[in-house]
Amino acid sequence: MTSSRRRWVRAIVSCVLAVSGGAASAQPMVVRDDRGLDIAIAASPQRIVSLLPSLTESVCAVGACARLVGVDRFSNWPDSVRALPKLGGIEDALVERVVALKPDLVLAAPSARAIERFEGLGLKVLVLESRNRADVKRTLNILARVLGAAPQAAAVWSRIERDERLAVERVPAHWRGRRVYFEVDATPYAAGAGSFIGETLARLGLVNIVPNELGPFPKLNPEFVVRAQPDLVIAHNANLAEMPKRPGWADLRALRSGSICGFEPAAYELLIRPGPRMGEAAQSLATCLAALPAPGGALR
Amino acid sequence: MRTPDQQRRGRLAWRLGALTIVLLAAGLAAGSDGWSMLALWDTLQRGDAALIVGQIRAPRTLGAWLAGALLGLSGAVAQGLFRNPLADPYLLGSASGASLAVVLVLAASSLTGHGIALATAGAVARLGLVGAAFAGALLGVSLTLVLARGAEQTTRLLLAGVVVGVLLAAGSDLVTSAAPDALRGKQAFMLGSTGFLSWSACAVLAAGLLVALPPAWRLARALDALTLGEDAARSLGLSLVHLRAALVVALALAIGVAVSQTGLIAFVGLVSPHLVRRFAPAPHGYTLLASAATGGTLLLAADVLARSLIAPQEVPVGVLTALLGGTYLLWLLHRRRIA
Amino acid sequence: MSAAQEAVALLSADSLGVSLGSTRALDNVSADFEPGWTAIVGPNGAGKSTLLRALAGLQALQSGNVRLHGKALREWPDRERATRIAWLGQQAETTGELTVREVVQLGRLPHHGLFGAPTARDEAVVDAAMRDAECLPWQTRRLHELSGGERQRVLIARALAVDAAILLLDEPTTHLDPPHQIALVHLLRRQAAAGVTVVSVLHDLGLALLADRLIVLDGGRVCAVGRSDEPPLHSRLIEVFGGAIRIERVGARWVPVANLER
Repeated sequence: MTSSRRRWVRAIVSCVLAVSGGAASAQPMVVRDDRGLDIAIAASPQRIVSLLPSLTESVCAVGACARLVGVDRFSNWPDSVRALPKLGGIEDALVERVVALKPDLVLAAPSARAIERFEGLGLKVLVLESRNRADVKRTLNILARVLGAAPQAAAVWSRIERDERLAVERVPAHWRGRRVYFEVDATPYAAGAGSFIGETLARLGLVNIVPNELGPFPKLNPEFVVRAQPDLVIAHNANLAEMPKRPGWADLRALRSGSICGFEPAAYELLIRPGPRMGEAAQSLATCLAALPAPGGALR
Repeated sequence: MRTPDQQRRGRLAWRLGALTIVLLAAGLAAGSDGWSMLALWDTLQRGDAALIVGQIRAPRTLGAWLAGALLGLSGAVAQGLFRNPLADPYLLGSASGASLAVVLVLAASSLTGHGIALATAGAVARLGLVGAAFAGALLGVSLTLVLARGAEQTTRLLLAGVVVGVLLAAGSDLVTSAAPDALRGKQAFMLGSTGFLSWSACAVLAAGLLVALPPAWRLARALDALTLGEDAARSLGLSLVHLRAALVVALALAIGVAVSQTGLIAFVGLVSPHLVRRFAPAPHGYTLLASAATGGTLLLAADVLARSLIAPQEVPVGVLTALLGGTYLLWLLHRRRIA
Repeated sequence: MSAAQEAVALLSADSLGVSLGSTRALDNVSADFEPGWTAIVGPNGAGKSTLLRALAGLQALQSGNVRLHGKALREWPDRERATRIAWLGQQAETTGELTVREVVQLGRLPHHGLFGAPTARDEAVVDAAMRDAECLPWQTRRLHELSGGERQRVLIARALAVDAAILLLDEPTTHLDPPHQIALVHLLRRQAAAGVTVVSVLHDLGLALLADRLIVLDGGRVCAVGRSDEPPLHSRLIEVFGGAIRIERVGARWVPVANLER
């Protein structure tokens, strides 16, 4: 083949490639959401409504914070979202307000009537729910892809993993293998080994007194906790204050020796939100553990 | 020559009609930018006017009236059937029955691995929940009647209603402890709200009204006879078993349809018949229709207020109906006009 | 009506047995009822109201039958039965907002049915009933605004409005003051004279003795049946009341007198 013909072939091939590449990016992206439905998204969404705090955080983490036009009442990180219009919660989303914002994508968790109503009004709804680590990674990837920021997802995830690794290193050796009770609610509802926060605790080397078989957030018989005698108790500050008053709980070794990690609401929220700040959550826990005296008693 | 009674009935009808028209118009103007006719004019100029006003505000406004009418009708039927001015259709086990049925459907689908049923959407799931709500309401009211054995005595009836309500709620709790996903779905479903009413919801509500109202109205004279006592009504040749069954079905249908579309909204059913009695006492033929119209107007007013008071936020409509209805009942008690 | 039917009693109770809980309220009670005024008397708990309810078809029977024109009541269609038997109970707990006229109009229900419209004849009967029971002036007032006695008259009017061949009244004189009690007696006598079978439960023996016939019940059983002016019946009556009364003749009538020398 002569050099001029080679040049022509190269030019034609690169034209075809360019055209087909361009056509590919103009084709609607099809994403499968957590309902199992395939949602077609034509172009990269520019006006996003998020009705779940962890999804709000994920959108901001992959750098698309500026594209948010409205969030739910519970979204509070980063600070810039606080100025956005508040659209109610998942159960009582303000339909008209959402529609008036003319979003081209609505991010939501599974709920009763809102999703169907939005879709009935012609809005695109992507339902994503993160319950565990694997879900968070998947959600990040899907969101980044949809927002045209695919490489960001990998960056965020590696940052999370790096923060977690650092956190694990900061956990003193005397805490490894120790047993922890993480209280979600004073009923008591606990976070089990299979829950999102349970996975983080496991990464940090702690053993959950609530095994996987009991489910992610079981409602416990208070006696169970007393008999399990955890080495560490993690809860809201307010709950920790009244724990010794519960019948039999004053006997908990962890309470008596001060092996407790208490958190104010903002810090607590950070722990239980399955979103991009998982790494910070691990750091927060590691900080607490590092500041505690060594636990007494034998390793069980 | 119209009697004073007939004049009062006519006046009430005109007033309700006028109020309804005004509120329907107001409903079109009440939105996320507060309530003002000027804002409505601006909104209509916008490109998405058809969407905002036509697809969101209009069906919601009409749907609120329709749901209120169903609740008002149910309240009048319940109070007539059970000869008790304190009978609220929810007290008779209809709400807890609908709630339990909804939870069972949600739990069944989540336990069989379909994930959270509501999230999979689709007309079938929707129909399943609507049908479940209706069947559950029917079950609850029938159970109450059986337990109260004819409901001759006030205390027995109220006790039966409370017992059935508690039993069915406990059943619901039991199911949700085994299937926690169903709990979230149920709470979302049962939270009283007019905020999600679409045109298809309006169609369902209208259908419910068209099916429940005529038979109830036709049997109104039986309710009149019942005011003389059950034995007297039977001595007049009425078959109480059949009448009760027909009225219970109408009641359960009305409540079931309303609950399936708007969740639980307090007081409208209880208070509407009282308002009618206060302004225009009449036999049940008039009272049933007027209660429906009054309930519709009441819920419509509450819905418009809910959207307007703290726009762009909304006050839960159940709070407003409870406030409006509860305040009125307190006033009634104060004046000792409860019959 | 054929001659055969005329020979059968209009309304009859055949060996009625009724148990209310563990009590035997009626035990093998049989009686025939013909046009005229019959009063059912007896001590408290004798089963008087239960018998009247049974005659109206409102009481579940453990044994026996009530027959209307020879046919068992339960075989009669409800509405047919209701046009022939009118019943007024003892303690009517009325509710609702109906006016006096609307209440009395309910008496026409068996005739035009739940879905039929009242005719001019219905309205005429209603007017006549209210006139007879002396409550016509208040027809636009609400039932619950009336006093006990006024309300009772309205309820009597309601029973009269049925215009039935059989009129069953349980303690119709409740709440009525003496003038109105007398008026009621006259009314019942007029009805009986017109061919209505009037059966009333009365605890007031003085009024009961004004009826044509007496049925004396005690402990769920029939103790005596007969004309109200027969001395043998009077003796049985005195026995049943444990000698607490004497029955004496005053002018043309028999009058019960409390026996304080017992």
